[in-house]
Amino acid sequence: MNSAFRLFLWCCLLAASMLAALQIGAVDVSLPSLLLGSRSDALQAEIFWQLRLPRVLLAGLAGAALAVCGALLQLLSRNALADPYLFGVVSGAALGATISSLWLPALALPVAAFAGAFFAILLVLALAQQAARQGMQNISTLLLTGLAVSFFCSAVASLLLYHADSFAANRIMFWLMGSLSRADWPAVQLLCITLTLTLVLCAFGRRQLTALNWSDDMAKSLGVAVQRWRLVLLLLCALLTAVVVAYCGGIGFVGLMIPHLVRLLFGSQVVPLLFGSALCGAIFLIWVDSAARTVLAPQELPLGILTALCGSIFFLLLLSRRSANEF
Amino acid sequence: MSDLLLHCAQLELRQPDGFKLGPMSLQLKSGKLYGLLGANGAGKSTLLQLFAGLKKPDSGHIILAQQALSAYTATTRARHLAFLSQQQAPTEMTVRQLLHLGLLPHKALWQRDNQNDRDNINRVLRDTGLSQQADTLLGRLSGGEQQRAHLARVLVQQAQLLLLDEPVNHLDIRFQHQLLATLRRSGLCVLASFHDINLAATYCDELILLQQGQLIAAGTPQQVLQPDLLQQVFGRPCLVDQSPFTGSCRVTFAPEPI
Repeated sequence: MNSAFRLFLWCCLLAASMLAALQIGAVDVSLPSLLLGSRSDALQAEIFWQLRLPRVLLAGLAGAALAVCGALLQLLSRNALADPYLFGVVSGAALGATISSLWLPALALPVAAFAGAFFAILLVLALAQQAARQGMQNISTLLLTGLAVSFFCSAVASLLLYHADSFAANRIMFWLMGSLSRADWPAVQLLCITLTLTLVLCAFGRRQLTALNWSDDMAKSLGVAVQRWRLVLLLLCALLTAVVVAYCGGIGFVGLMIPHLVRLLFGSQVVPLLFGSALCGAIFLIWVDSAARTVLAPQELPLGILTALCGSIFFLLLLSRRSANEF
Repeated sequence: MSDLLLHCAQLELRQPDGFKLGPMSLQLKSGKLYGLLGANGAGKSTLLQLFAGLKKPDSGHIILAQQALSAYTATTRARHLAFLSQQQAPTEMTVRQLLHLGLLPHKALWQRDNQNDRDNINRVLRDTGLSQQADTLLGRLSGGEQQRAHLARVLVQQAQLLLLDEPVNHLDIRFQHQLLATLRRSGLCVLASFHDINLAATYCDELILLQQGQLIAAGTPQQVLQPDLLQQVFGRPCLVDQSPFTGSCRVTFAPEPI
């Protein structure tokens, strides 16, 4: 009951954050007049519906998606350091983006980044499956494979950029720093559908996830089809992260930090952990994006810099508090 | 032969580290309690993991309830057999939550636990003496209480065959006897590994003696507990007489000279 009430409280906080974030920006937009349909200013409506609303929604969804992926991967790998970006997603996306900015029209960048990210994850999964068939059941194989693929993709991307003009290199670098300025409705829809699917599956499979978090053998002896569950969940994580990276670039630290925060707030049971991660991740990224838009307005700060900056400081504080309590 | 629950023939497993189990053939009958004995590294846990479907044999076959074990899905297998490992469990889970996990193989994804399940869990909690600790986190319990909680989870799973890897580990004397009596009364088929030969001899219908992956002897305690066999397996001379309480075999090993 207590935890349900807490979830409700955080839902309210999320709604409030979204309303507040919708008001923040270069152009003043009054919500009541827009929603009541008084077509006073077509430009204002255009800004609200095509720029600000998708941007705030994408911020929330991307934050939620990254946090949920982080929590899921930490559950599945039983490793507190697992992070959606550990699977070579960012470097895969960077490779895709590099290729597209060198040889393809500018519009193809998100598509190429998505393809690169997804390719990297599939490569990691395939290699890890191969290792599993050869008897290495350990999930840390997956993490190490991710690391190797990640370095490989970065190396190839760097090689390409080294021979390219500095303009392309700049573009890639800024894109990697992360931004929500490319937000549009298709991205929102895609993320919304995938995230909902993931959360619903996890809510139904809460017992399976609890058993998987325990150990592979325990899950198997409790009747969980371990390989199938893991593959489906990893593919969903891959899809979510690839979409986020393709549209928003590299937004680090959310997937690593938010689940740890949520464990302190909501406990480590599967359902509160995942839904709490979704809520906290959404709230966090909405506020960070609002800050990114306003702190140095009219200039926009790269999102990834801000998340890593406040994320790491906050995380250190959290760790020092936790270690004082627990050890 | 209808009471034959699990049997294996020419079962063999080679591990990458050079350990070889079998070939061996065994039969487990419904309603009987089997004790698995052997020194450390004799292959007790490995055999249990093979029967639990967690490891695949290199050759030979295992038949569970007239069907090859490899033909079961994870879920149907978990309805037939429950496995207790020696592994450490997550600690941030209450005893009740752990027990609800035991219902997993009986539930479709969308099914919630009903009143019947809760009654079942409360009954098992009473049987294992854990009613007081039902809502305590596992990490806050003593080693013995944790062990009982895991045994309770195995019982909640409602399988006909229980495979228990050192079930009396960490339990005090009272609960050791209480547990084995509970297992006997349950009428389930149980295969459990033990280090305490006398405890196994008191409660088990049959004993299975392993040495370096090989089956040395299987049969009633009187048949298996031969001084020369025990000396061969455990490396110490011993004396076998009768327990003054039950008349079952009692083994006393000669102490190491100091």
